[in-house]
Amino acid sequence: MSSASKPMILELIDACFSYGKNGHVVDNLAFSVGEGEFIGLLGANGSGKSTILKLGSGILKPSAGKIMLWGKQLQSYRNKDRAKLISYLPQTLDISVPFTIRELVGMGLYPYDIPPAITPDEALDMVGLTDKADAHITDLSGGEKRRTFIAMTLLQGAGLLLLDEPLANLDIKYQIELVRLLRTLRGQRNISVVMALHDINIGLQFDKVMLIKNGGILGFGRPEDVLTESSITDAFDIEVKILRQTDGKAYVSYQENYRKWQGMQK
Amino acid sequence: MKINFFLIVLIFFAVLAISLFLGPTPINPLALDGTTREILINIRAPRIAVAVLMGMALGASGAVLQGILRNPLADPYILGISSGASLAAAIGIIGGVTIFGTFSIPVFAFAGAVLTGGIVGVMGWKRGGLWPERLLLAGVGLSFLFSALLMLIMSVSRDEGIRRAMLWIFGDLSMSDWERVPYGVLFVFGGVAISLWRAKALNALILGDEFAHSLGFAPQTERVLLFISVGLMTAASVSLGGMIGFIGLLIPHIARFFIGSDNRLLVPASALGGGALLCAADLIARSALPPMELPAGIITAIIGSPYFLYLLRRKNVLSV
Repeated sequence: MSSASKPMILELIDACFSYGKNGHVVDNLAFSVGEGEFIGLLGANGSGKSTILKLGSGILKPSAGKIMLWGKQLQSYRNKDRAKLISYLPQTLDISVPFTIRELVGMGLYPYDIPPAITPDEALDMVGLTDKADAHITDLSGGEKRRTFIAMTLLQGAGLLLLDEPLANLDIKYQIELVRLLRTLRGQRNISVVMALHDINIGLQFDKVMLIKNGGILGFGRPEDVLTESSITDAFDIEVKILRQTDGKAYVSYQENYRKWQGMQK
Repeated sequence: MKINFFLIVLIFFAVLAISLFLGPTPINPLALDGTTREILINIRAPRIAVAVLMGMALGASGAVLQGILRNPLADPYILGISSGASLAAAIGIIGGVTIFGTFSIPVFAFAGAVLTGGIVGVMGWKRGGLWPERLLLAGVGLSFLFSALLMLIMSVSRDEGIRRAMLWIFGDLSMSDWERVPYGVLFVFGGVAISLWRAKALNALILGDEFAHSLGFAPQTERVLLFISVGLMTAASVSLGGMIGFIGLLIPHIARFFIGSDNRLLVPASALGGGALLCAADLIARSALPPMELPAGIITAIIGSPYFLYLLRRKNVLSV
């Protein structure tokens, strides 16, 4: 993967951030996202995945270092202009007002004076919610809520999607379909996606993964290089085996016992 | 939804016309004489104007506040603005202040409201922004303090002014005249205009600050703007005619039932609904038991609450 050949969309240059005195910290973070790249962020809870996505979307401002979007400082963009380039989907979707699905998805057009190519109905169709268009968000299941906001994000039409655990609450069918849909969109519009993930096996299907521990990067690159048995053990504190299918594809088998548990038994 | 909005506009103007020509003495608009013209122009019209302005301010600010605080139980009085206004007004009434002539009490109330809004804003400010939970708690805390001070003043005072102060606090439209209307129009229409201008941002804020940011808004700036517009509308409303319950809390929920949750329609619909309800309530208040006049705030709650409870039994008035 020669990232140098592709134009860089987002660059974090020695970005630092901490939540108060004793909060989580990311330290001297340096990486970039190229056009059309799919990057999976993997790491234990509290390792800094969400913080990295929030820094990249401009929600959090780095205490030191720089964040560049298309070669320009992220903070120098007007809010509306930035929203046409980056879309961020938070992990928690906590909506108490009964908006309809169509109303919510339509908010994806807010940054625009002239709507872009796709319509709210097309976005709903992409996530399989056409028949729920007039339902209220408060009446939907967790997975349907997630798909609603994914449709909003797609309608927003940004070239870079920063998604925080977008596969959470999704049935396995929709997990597969969402990843497939994003790949299709990459084919059509050359979008780039950075998403936080829980499932290491899904990470193995990405072009690039970033393994994070305590706000620092343990490894960044092709999954087969980054996700080794020892690096996964280091990041997640679990024992795993990496197995290969007959077609050569790798998958991770989780061991039942934690290291510490094993140690205690001995 | 658009048809429902059109219906609300229609109902609003129908209520306006009915309250203008009905009342303790019905007036035929096609056969006006000197007396009836006088009643119409100098007694009823200003009273209706004040009722409409107050109702609009309460309805719109309730809708906006429920959005920026992300809380369906928020109403314009929860921020303590009305308690501050009432305390200031009571001090003015009991102190016999007349420096601003007939405007003295409204000016006191307005100043009390704006000052309280400012204090709540300062208390709700942390890390470069206004935070919904802090605003809410600061408002509730101040509200208790000011209500207690008001009670204290009333219980130690032997003044004849107490009755007037009490009437003021329970909402009193009988003192309405044209003089108060222009500044009411200024603040209420100004507040509604700001809320409408920022309605998309308000929709996004309801989803949370991170969504609002992602959709191209600066959440803290938007919240401050909307907070100021709510503060001005509430202050204007309380200084026009005291406190009227029910409208700010429940009109937005009723409006949501008919026209949905999009604030581009919800804010104007809540304003029109609030204006129509208070206008109708005041019509009933002055014609139910003539020559006695009931406080309009009592009527809004008596006709509004059962209707709201009926709607509550149906889905999606509240989100739960």
